[in-house]
Amino acid sequence: MRGLTKGQVLSGLGVGLNAVVAEVFRVAPMQALPEFAKSTKGADAERVSLKAAIASVSAHLDELAAASDDTSADIFEALKFLLEDDELFEVADGHLADGWSAAAAYGLAVNEFAELLGGDPDFDERVKDLQDISKRVQANLAGIKVGLELPKHGSFVIVGEDFSPADTAQFTSAVVGVITLKGGPTSHTAIICRSRSIPAVVSCGEAAHLVDGDIVLVDPVGDRVVFNAELSEATMPIEFIATGREPLVPVRSNIGSLDDAKKASSAGANGVGLFRTELLYLSSSSQPSVEAQTALYAEILAAAPEGPVVVRTIDAGSDKPVPFLNMPHEENPSLGVRGYRLIVEHRQFIVDQLQSLEFARAHTGREVWVMAPMIATAAEAREFAALAKSIGQFKVGIMVETPSIVTQIADLKGQIDFLSVGTNDLSQYLFAADRMNPALGLLLNPWQPGLIRTLARIASESLAAGISSGVCGESASDPAFAVVLAGLGMKSVSSSPSQVGAVKAALSAVAEADAKRIAHEVQNFSTAEEAKAFVLAELQKLS
Amino acid sequence: MSKFSLEVEVLDPIGLHARPAGQIVKLVKESGLEVTIGRPGEEFAKANSALRLMALKIKTGETLTVEIETSDEAQAGEIVAQIQDFLKG
Repeated sequence: MRGLTKGQVLSGLGVGLNAVVAEVFRVAPMQALPEFAKSTKGADAERVSLKAAIASVSAHLDELAAASDDTSADIFEALKFLLEDDELFEVADGHLADGWSAAAAYGLAVNEFAELLGGDPDFDERVKDLQDISKRVQANLAGIKVGLELPKHGSFVIVGEDFSPADTAQFTSAVVGVITLKGGPTSHTAIICRSRSIPAVVSCGEAAHLVDGDIVLVDPVGDRVVFNAELSEATMPIEFIATGREPLVPVRSNIGSLDDAKKASSAGANGVGLFRTELLYLSSSSQPSVEAQTALYAEILAAAPEGPVVVRTIDAGSDKPVPFLNMPHEENPSLGVRGYRLIVEHRQFIVDQLQSLEFARAHTGREVWVMAPMIATAAEAREFAALAKSIGQFKVGIMVETPSIVTQIADLKGQIDFLSVGTNDLSQYLFAADRMNPALGLLLNPWQPGLIRTLARIASESLAAGISSGVCGESASDPAFAVVLAGLGMKSVSSSPSQVGAVKAALSAVAEADAKRIAHEVQNFSTAEEAKAFVLAELQKLS
Repeated sequence: MSKFSLEVEVLDPIGLHARPAGQIVKLVKESGLEVTIGRPGEEFAKANSALRLMALKIKTGETLTVEIETSDEAQAGEIVAQIQDFLKG
């Protein structure tokens, strides 16, 4: 017996407002590969097996490439190139002649090349690729499955360590709920589940005990999974009573594409609070002309919901490279040359982007605000503001993501019009917790007192400096957290299109005085759990 | 058949990494010729393997020798010119 009893609660961090009950589908870590062994059938037979395995893995990589977008397709293409390397086969062939099995020979050959390439940061990724193909070939020879094989029919809650972009791209309609043992509220899995409205609980370590066939309640509002429970036991989201009042602050939407802009319009968002522009460039192999960029921006501006459109200039880095900008590998890409820092090497690119936005603004007659990401000093903020104002009729602002700029808001009085807090990156830098590290999810919980108190400081200093402050991170998609943000004095929030309705409902149900009191008192708590529990209890009393 | 020995300079900021190595291997295989690349005075690598080329760990600014077995001097020059182009970054 695994010790799970009916009604047992497994705690995690909830994503979304809807609950679901379904059967567990366990995405198991891959079965262990056999130890390297000597051949029992002779070198010639092993050579035939090895060639067949390489061909089969190659065909599988082709299938994966065909099913994915351009960027991922390139990844599979690069793997295939290593897989079919002549010398790799030659070295493996030598090991076959020494009597090793096909799997062992290939594994040994890969290890030798990994050793040769090792110790050089430029080749770290290639060494990982080599190990990946080695694993695939050995697994193929041993008849072990690699990768995600999800059911296509039925309804399942899938449970796994954490899911990569390659994994989530394969989520079928049979995936009605998601539980991850690791990964936080800003993990890739969480962002995908929120945008696709799939109920999820992340950072749920206790879910390790769940096995295929278990029935679970995924209860994101309660930040928990309940073993063998009914849907009626789900924690109800707070029912905000529709008042017909305007929300306390405008609720804008985050967009990255034309499709998002349309969704944001139908959701009734009050303008766009974050237009992520890098997505328009990640798949281009050469820099689009100003005319082409202008056309793209004009189309998206025209489709965006009524209200101002806040555009973030390109936020790329070596972990999110734009093919036509030369971005050398970096040890710590999140601390490297990214966002506005690209201006040193690529000033003309940023100038062209602003110029295209100005043409699109003039063409559509929309109100466009522009802001730069990864601003760390007041000097950078001033430089960007001057550049943007010299190019177009924009309101100009900055993203607040670095702890250093939080201390310089007063210095920006009269120099920028607005700021927008990216709580995902602000948490990452404030807590020194890599967003990409699935083990650190709990530190990235927006209810952490360290983050809430930093947000309070940003709101009050912006107010004093006459700078309009907003929040566009994932945290602003949580209706209860949005009430805290409005209460702290933020002048707008921006949510994913799917959450705009829920956030608007919350912000029009709560009176300003109540929001202010809650936002003031929540700062007295010293843990994320207590802070969240306090706010939910207060909002429950009001509804 | 004679052996042509020509020099190329690595200008790519990341050195001889996966992409140019892959481009060189593709070119060499298509030519059907025996081509080796290396630092002058050191052991050369056969240019039919991207892994062997990467394992040379060649960095930006280095000068390399390309050796090609062919009777067609113009073809050798053309191949080296293309390899130089791949190494521009």
